[in-house]
Amino acid sequence: MRNSSLASIERIKAAANAAQTGKPINLVPYLLVAPTLILVSLFTIYPAVGSVVSSLYRPPRNVRDPSTFVGLENYFDLFDPTHYIGSTFLQVISNTIIFALATVVVSVPLALGFALLLNRRIKRIGVYRFSLFYPALLPMIGAASIWAFLFADPLGLVNTILRTFGSRGQNWIGDPNIALFTVTTVNIWKQAGFYTIFYLAGLQNIPRDLYEAAELDGAGECQKLLYLTIPLLRRTTLFILIVSFTFGFQTVEHLQALGQGGPGDRSNLLLYFIFQSIGERRNWGYINAMTVVLVLVLMVFTVTNFLYFERRRDDETS
Amino acid sequence: MRHHNALGSRVADAVTTLLSLLWLSPLIFAILLSFRPPNEPITNGNIFFGSTITLDNYRAAWSVAPWLTHYLNSIIFVVGVLIVQLVTVTMAGYAFARMRFRGRDTLLLIILLQLMIPSGVLIVQNFATIRTLNLFDTHIALMLPYWGSAFGLLLMRQTFREIPFELEEAARIDGASLWQVLRHVYIPLSIPAYTAFALVSISSHWNEFLWPFIVTRSESVRPLTVGLSKLVATTDVGALYNQLMAGTLLVIAPLVILFMFFQRRFIESFARSGLK
Repeated sequence: MRNSSLASIERIKAAANAAQTGKPINLVPYLLVAPTLILVSLFTIYPAVGSVVSSLYRPPRNVRDPSTFVGLENYFDLFDPTHYIGSTFLQVISNTIIFALATVVVSVPLALGFALLLNRRIKRIGVYRFSLFYPALLPMIGAASIWAFLFADPLGLVNTILRTFGSRGQNWIGDPNIALFTVTTVNIWKQAGFYTIFYLAGLQNIPRDLYEAAELDGAGECQKLLYLTIPLLRRTTLFILIVSFTFGFQTVEHLQALGQGGPGDRSNLLLYFIFQSIGERRNWGYINAMTVVLVLVLMVFTVTNFLYFERRRDDETS
Repeated sequence: MRHHNALGSRVADAVTTLLSLLWLSPLIFAILLSFRPPNEPITNGNIFFGSTITLDNYRAAWSVAPWLTHYLNSIIFVVGVLIVQLVTVTMAGYAFARMRFRGRDTLLLIILLQLMIPSGVLIVQNFATIRTLNLFDTHIALMLPYWGSAFGLLLMRQTFREIPFELEEAARIDGASLWQVLRHVYIPLSIPAYTAFALVSISSHWNEFLWPFIVTRSESVRPLTVGLSKLVATTDVGALYNQLMAGTLLVIAPLVILFMFFQRRFIESFARSGLK
């Protein structure tokens, strides 16, 4: 079976080589790939390159004048805290990093906890699974609009409950010192269930007999968790960490229903700030430079992720 | 020892119940609030129930936006994206799985750039492209950037590679064309992968907001999420949370109900979406 398949693949390869050297090139594979290639070129490569190019120019004061080439000046302005765009950009990027990191730090351990709880023989598993996972299926703006009610001041649920304990409650969305915490909470609630799925898959790949062996050696639940489960889930954890961190840089739609980045950009996130700039007449050189910064951050993580896991998978299959 | 285990699992059960309730509570309170009379915020009387149960909020929310149009637009958006995707990922997936051609690896790498630079991040430039192509405020503008899917391509390439080559060879000997080979060998054997891809594609586009918001202006093409954002904006002014919850539930209901019935399918599909 295996031999005949190899032989036939060899035959096809030989035929393909013959086609390459002698007869004209077979166009079929190119035609099959063309639609995808064109779309990716038009909506990924062209805009990525376009952002880099535009980020090197300063738009003219008058629409009819040409733009001026300014090299990396836009980037210097972005990272200059005394410049008006720099002060905003540094605020927004630090918000974004805090948002992404806090989401990772809280939701990934939560996801592991959820997965361990769900990966047992348990009654009404469907109800629990639904409860923990449904937030992941909501549109971000729908999730945010529910939380807009929970966090409303004074009519919201959270403050109503706090008042029964004698607290005045907080202005969760309008207080510049709390707003970022609020939008992060929503994201943690939404993402934890999503990452749970990957942990559940990881848990199911751990052979049962490892646990039986550990039990024979007298290991308790805690020891099994610390010395067996968590180390064996290392790859899953690394994967989830990278994915959740890059997600953190792209998840912004909830801001639309939760204060729109305010007050004064104190809860604004980079992609949402870029999105807002489309409606307002902001400097396009700066906006493109910000896009490039965002793309670079994402690429560093996704390329690492891709190289690491793709290489591992090749090792496993070959 | 046995006794200890039983206790441990009872504690775990309690923790599971508690966490599930905590995670479920936003939805429960949204539902409860949506049935309270419009002029009764939760600060008024009982925190769970109002003086009576009413559909007034649903009527009010329904009149704020043309929801049927938004529903239809969302359906056109996700179905229109999915159908074209299924064609493009099948074609390219087969080429990269089973054909040898010059520049194959380079082309694959170029396409994989889409996984590294999500198109959602390139909204400013892509918005300009839609303007240039004169597609602003059309259904096509919503769908176009998603018609090529590197994730779907990788998934299909992987799936097609696992199908025994003898099956294709046998069909070829019987004189089958490329289309017939795909139609009778590859596609029927890959239904689970297609299902997984479809669920991931549908749920991500059904929930999308930023891109549809940017490239459309008329209600006649705007999907549900954009309609909801309008409701959110009116709530900002009047603090009509009862009505906002009714509207939100109208928007999120289809996927949430679908998930209730097909939990396993969804979870398996999303698990695969990670294996990029």
